[in-house]
Amino acid sequence: MHLIEIDQITKSFADTRALDDVSFYIDENEFITLLGPSGCGKTTLLRILGGFEHPDSGNVRLAGVDVLKVPAYDRLVNTVFQHYALFPHLNVYDNVAFGLKMKKLKDSDIREKVMHALKMVRLENFAERRIQPLSGGQKQRVAIARAIVNEPKVLLLDEPLAALDLKLRQDMQYELKELQRNLGITFIYVTHDQEEALTMSDTIVVMNDGKILQIGTPVDIYNEPKTKFVAHFIGESNIIPAVMNADFDVSFEGQSFQCVDAGFADNQPVSVVIRPEDITLKKRPGKINGIVDAITFKGVHYEIIVYVNDKEYVIHSIHPQKVGAKVSLHFEPEAIHVMHDV
Amino acid sequence: MLSAFSTYSILRDVPFAFEGDALSVLQTDVFIQAFLSSLKFAGYVTVISLLIGYPVAYALSQSRSPYKRLYILALIIPVWSNMLLRIIAFEKLFYPDSILNMFGISLDLIGTDWAIVIGMVSIYLPFMIFPIYAVLEKLDQRLLEAAYDLYANPFKRFLHVILPLSTGGIISGILMTALPAMTTFALPERLSAGNTILLGNLIENYVMRTAQIDLASVIALGLLILMVGIYRVLLRFDAEGETLV
Repeated sequence: MHLIEIDQITKSFADTRALDDVSFYIDENEFITLLGPSGCGKTTLLRILGGFEHPDSGNVRLAGVDVLKVPAYDRLVNTVFQHYALFPHLNVYDNVAFGLKMKKLKDSDIREKVMHALKMVRLENFAERRIQPLSGGQKQRVAIARAIVNEPKVLLLDEPLAALDLKLRQDMQYELKELQRNLGITFIYVTHDQEEALTMSDTIVVMNDGKILQIGTPVDIYNEPKTKFVAHFIGESNIIPAVMNADFDVSFEGQSFQCVDAGFADNQPVSVVIRPEDITLKKRPGKINGIVDAITFKGVHYEIIVYVNDKEYVIHSIHPQKVGAKVSLHFEPEAIHVMHDV
Repeated sequence: MLSAFSTYSILRDVPFAFEGDALSVLQTDVFIQAFLSSLKFAGYVTVISLLIGYPVAYALSQSRSPYKRLYILALIIPVWSNMLLRIIAFEKLFYPDSILNMFGISLDLIGTDWAIVIGMVSIYLPFMIFPIYAVLEKLDQRLLEAAYDLYANPFKRFLHVILPLSTGGIISGILMTALPAMTTFALPERLSAGNTILLGNLIENYVMRTAQIDLASVIALGLLILMVGIYRVLLRFDAEGETLV
């Protein structure tokens, strides 16, 4: 049995459908990310799991129990809110202790658990501090401590790092992942940041327009996007209209290429995805030839735009090219990913 | 201040000198009686206004009704109308013979404490509701969700989150209600049929009837000091000192 089973959840607001017949399951100890652009329904789904929103139809089972009838304050689920939502009238200690006090634990037990939680987020010296003067990163840690101190079965995180600057965000990504491993609890993480999703998750659920587009490991989602939307959303990519000649044989840009995909009908129109870092440029003419249009230095690599038959290709390379130079594009059969989506 | 502690008077031309004679008014029976009555009525009115006003303010702040603005307007409009007019309206209703007879109701409240309390509450209630409403309306709804998330049922959520975060509004409301209630004079005069003398009546009497402005000044100053005192005490209840508006 899965820890959480989400079964045909549908939810509408006024005339927009936030969630459209969404079903999937989540296993114990999984770090699962709901990824999608804003308005895709990911936050609504999280709020339904947390008990702040009620679906129009469908079921959510947590450890086999239907939780939709359970009010938020009785669910064994805790949330780390996007804007922290720390209580301004309480200090750090009392914020973290809030849930335990509501559950009427003994004071000595509360103190032990709270100090342990603060230690986990490296804020053990901040117990008596007030909330307001804390930095964004510190507030975020308090919010995380306040949630994990209750030892929930599932921790819901709603874009918890969105308000932090890049460096801090990267540090916190690592820390959150560590925390999840150490605690052994299930994290359901909502973000619109594909890099964050790829870095942290065991499983990514890509959503758009209230529907699930693809569920898979970060590697699967990155290397084998099922639709153009997923390919676009998960990092930059070149999507090229193509025709499947036969198994392992696809043609585009007027040339045929060996590939690793099979199971399509002969001569079926398809789309081909090639990641920018999988293309290498050579000076001598090849199967696909183009002209370098622009080059941008991105730190680790150069981003090179090459025009081929009036179509733009994005290439990431550590070798610079001259604008206007004639180049040819090369890639391995494994770099070609064929999608049904046309 | 000058009137209270010197021979200065706007009515008579006398040599200027400092003196504390007027302070003796604070020892007269009539003052002590009026002071205790004022304290009693202000206390009743403030407590009753808070008990009615807080739930009203809370319901308003939580309301998603399309008529919400209308409700608020309904609370504001009476404040815009002349207070004396409203007091006289109450006076008419509180006599046994009133328009209420049409509905088979005959009140005989004139001259009772109830008349004063009902009159004052109806007049000062908006001053209790609005400061509290303003704070509750601004209350971050996400904090309420956080409280639910952390096992606080609706009652505990109110007790541990909503109430502490609205103390600023409560304090403002108490000050806005208690101070006018301590000093009102028209209302007790009309509704108590002269049975009840409050500090406001005493001041009015000294100024308008007996021309003892020095005595009136002493009382007025005393009230001011008392109010500042109450304010200081209330501030201590405002836990973090940041919710007070």
